[in-house]
Amino acid sequence: MGRDLALLAPEIAVLLTAVGALIAEMLRRPRISLITAVVGLVVATGLALRLLGTDTTIFGGSFRIDTLSTWAKLILLPATVLSMLLARVDVRGSAREGTVYSLLIFSTLGALVLAGAADTMFLVLGTLLTGLATFALVAYPDTDPATEAAMKFFVFASVTTSIMIFGLSYWFGASGSTLIADLPAMDSMPLAVILGFVAVVVGLGYKASLVPFHFWAPDAYEGAPLSIAAYLSVVPKIGALFALTQVVRDLPPEIGWTAVIAGLAVLSMTYGYLAALVQDNVIRLLAYSSIAQSGYFLLGILAVGSSELALPSIILFAAAYAAMNLGAFAVAATTGRTLNDFDGLGRTRPLMGIAMVMFLLSLVGIPPLAGFVGKFMLFGAAIDAQFTWLAVAAIVNSVLSLAVYLRIIVPIYRSGESASAATDPWHGIVVITAFAATLIIGLAAQLFIV
Amino acid sequence: MLPLVSLTLFLPLVGAVLILCLPKPTARTVHSIAIVSAALTLVGALAMWLQGVSGDGFSQVEELEWMPAIGAAYRVGVDGISLPLVLLSAVLFLVSLIYASSLRDRPRAYVALILLLETTAIGTFTALDGILFYVFFEVSLVSMYFMIAGWGHEDRQRAALMFFIYTLLGSLPLLLAILGLYLGSPDPTFDMRAWIANPPLEGAAAMWALIAMLITFAVKIPAIPLHTWLPAAHVQAPTVGSVILAGIMLKFGTYGLVRFALQMTPDAFREAGIVVLVFGVVSAIYGAFAALAQTDLKRLVAYTSVNHMGYVIVGVSAAALTLDPAVRATALDGAVLQMFSHGLVTGALFFLVGMIQERAHTREMGEFGGLLKTVPLLGWSFVLAAFASLGLPGLAHFPAEFQIFLATLGTTPIAVVVILGIAIIAGTFLKALRETFLGEPRDRWNKMPDLSPREILAVAPLLVLTVATGVAPSWVLDVIHRTTSALVL
Repeated sequence: MGRDLALLAPEIAVLLTAVGALIAEMLRRPRISLITAVVGLVVATGLALRLLGTDTTIFGGSFRIDTLSTWAKLILLPATVLSMLLARVDVRGSAREGTVYSLLIFSTLGALVLAGAADTMFLVLGTLLTGLATFALVAYPDTDPATEAAMKFFVFASVTTSIMIFGLSYWFGASGSTLIADLPAMDSMPLAVILGFVAVVVGLGYKASLVPFHFWAPDAYEGAPLSIAAYLSVVPKIGALFALTQVVRDLPPEIGWTAVIAGLAVLSMTYGYLAALVQDNVIRLLAYSSIAQSGYFLLGILAVGSSELALPSIILFAAAYAAMNLGAFAVAATTGRTLNDFDGLGRTRPLMGIAMVMFLLSLVGIPPLAGFVGKFMLFGAAIDAQFTWLAVAAIVNSVLSLAVYLRIIVPIYRSGESASAATDPWHGIVVITAFAATLIIGLAAQLFIV
Repeated sequence: MLPLVSLTLFLPLVGAVLILCLPKPTARTVHSIAIVSAALTLVGALAMWLQGVSGDGFSQVEELEWMPAIGAAYRVGVDGISLPLVLLSAVLFLVSLIYASSLRDRPRAYVALILLLETTAIGTFTALDGILFYVFFEVSLVSMYFMIAGWGHEDRQRAALMFFIYTLLGSLPLLLAILGLYLGSPDPTFDMRAWIANPPLEGAAAMWALIAMLITFAVKIPAIPLHTWLPAAHVQAPTVGSVILAGIMLKFGTYGLVRFALQMTPDAFREAGIVVLVFGVVSAIYGAFAALAQTDLKRLVAYTSVNHMGYVIVGVSAAALTLDPAVRATALDGAVLQMFSHGLVTGALFFLVGMIQERAHTREMGEFGGLLKTVPLLGWSFVLAAFASLGLPGLAHFPAEFQIFLATLGTTPIAVVVILGIAIIAGTFLKALRETFLGEPRDRWNKMPDLSPREILAVAPLLVLTVATGVAPSWVLDVIHRTTSALVL
């Protein structure tokens, strides 16, 4: 038990941080709340670093401390810090500032639980923990659009999560155990396994905004404060995708789950980019783009078990995606919500312009940026798993994505005066950090592969 | 020992970073820094040239770990096929920067983009790692896109977009091919030397990889029917953009054709060689006819590139088809020399067309006449470059095309119909010369100034090298031949 708790130190630190931030909020000290939150998350990240290379399970095999769950901490905790700095600009001076920080951390804790889940109960726990915290975050501004967005999000989440729990009951009924690792033992009931799997995909798919469970995403992103949209598009999503990875690690390929994942990948990539192509609202455009990017993750997920490249590619792409997506949202936060707001950004604020172009090119997958290495590894994993056609489909979609992102890039260098909202120093810090990460992950991908 | 290749490769990038970091530099400082770093790069390229190549495999190799877990590393080096292209890049970028030194519209970004392009160009030619190659290959697109979109002519946004989407779409198949080569290797690695020594794919997989590569390189080269981005990009690009696009970036395609398609999937290439050859012949003849039909000088020069690159395709596929090592060496000698010569000659032609446009604000041949009398230096330079382009003996293209035709005659005699292209190109240029430079001068252009010292500095080195390559090609050919004669396919 003592060993188990020691291995769980980062999660415990995150929990304590969330509570600490909440206490500071009760004392009406938002600054302290923010400082507690940031320091706590940095400490938790440091604690997680020690776990690199550990591969074990705790609590009777129900929670994994492995490469995937450790990297989840190393990626999601810094991403949460950046989202929090963005949120600071949105909520500074408002009535319940500290609550936002605290909720962000609770939700991240949920994402971490998902990323390490080796037991179906942890899947439920993680889904609910992230879900409950994020509903509140979306509804936070207390405006009509935010409330509407939160309602849609909530209803959709309730239905999908219920379906997931229903499906998990099949797994429990068939194997008599809640451990995912016990699933292969029940060859006798392949139908129950596949039904349960489909239900899990529904439950995690909504969180990862995979097509066709994505409907809430554009509306919620648009209605929520921008910082929350940025957060939603990164942290819970990566948590859910990592959870899916953990689930499929123990599934025998014979039941055909790879085909399900491959189909969802094509749907998500293609539909996401096609829908993004017709958006005039940058936030909706980025929302559809993030739906499409989720599809790319699936290339790595379906190769789990058949390719050595699978896990490294998922981790690498997650890190890359977190950096470039947060960066793109941060620039959008200082620039505006419509494409016209980007007119001439490259001239009025050249650094913001360059950074945005880099984030978008990285999302396309242009070398040597982070997105390229990530996608490259994902394609390699898919081909290695005999899914060459899927890699080809992903590449065709990358071209389509260029047309999507060029819709933002082109106005940046058009003559015109971007009605520049004043750049908050916090935005600047987030953009610079994300920019540096986008470059470094691209050039030093080695760090993520071990 | 200095890491000569890496120094040469990154010197331009250092210059670019320096220019971007300076707080509010004057245009003069910007251009000076750029010219100095390009000049140093040329010194580096010359030093590489002096070191030469051993002939067997790659020389001057430099290696550094990058992603050992997947067998990717920073690996650079040269052989007789890439070294001339490195030298060509160093020369062409230096004269481009000299030519651009009069620019006053946002010179910092412009010059930094040119320098970034130089690093990607030299990087593409020296990379010995699949990922590294792809990185340089793609980054060049981004800088060229911004160059066309930011400083091009009237319709630049559309042309830049078309160029970007077209060539990005084009290069993704190569990514698949690289992944295929990687996963096919017995000991997965991105080392191009290993791929060349032991082609990892065979049978249908090799054929698919070859097809993917051919698509990519055909877009870059550009070959029929994937050439349609070229005229728009060339016409809308600023002069320096056209020079680099035609002089250097088209060679990415032909270089890839030799380095990847021919060397890494040799058997598949031998099987499909005749198809590729036909594409080359059609490209060459189509390019010639299309050039003949133009009235816009810049478009004319752009289409002659399609023709000249067609010859290179013919040369490379002849090399793939033949079983005689001597004939193969001749074919490749010709193909590589043609890449080198085309860079010099077309570079000069685009400069001169750009100079005419700057003076007259039009490129329509019909508007001119008798320019040889008003601007003799410019006129005679154009005449010299045009004659070189149409393959006159004693000038750069002749020895290259001669060897290509010689080798083709030895392997697939019927393909020699491609020689027709020369006659048509000759007609094209003679028509252009007559309409633009001969005849009675028109009053409109009486005041047209002749070449300025800056412009002479930009064009003269290219013309001198054109003559030198034509009269005594051995100074380049020796280096090329050392590698091509040792090539085992």
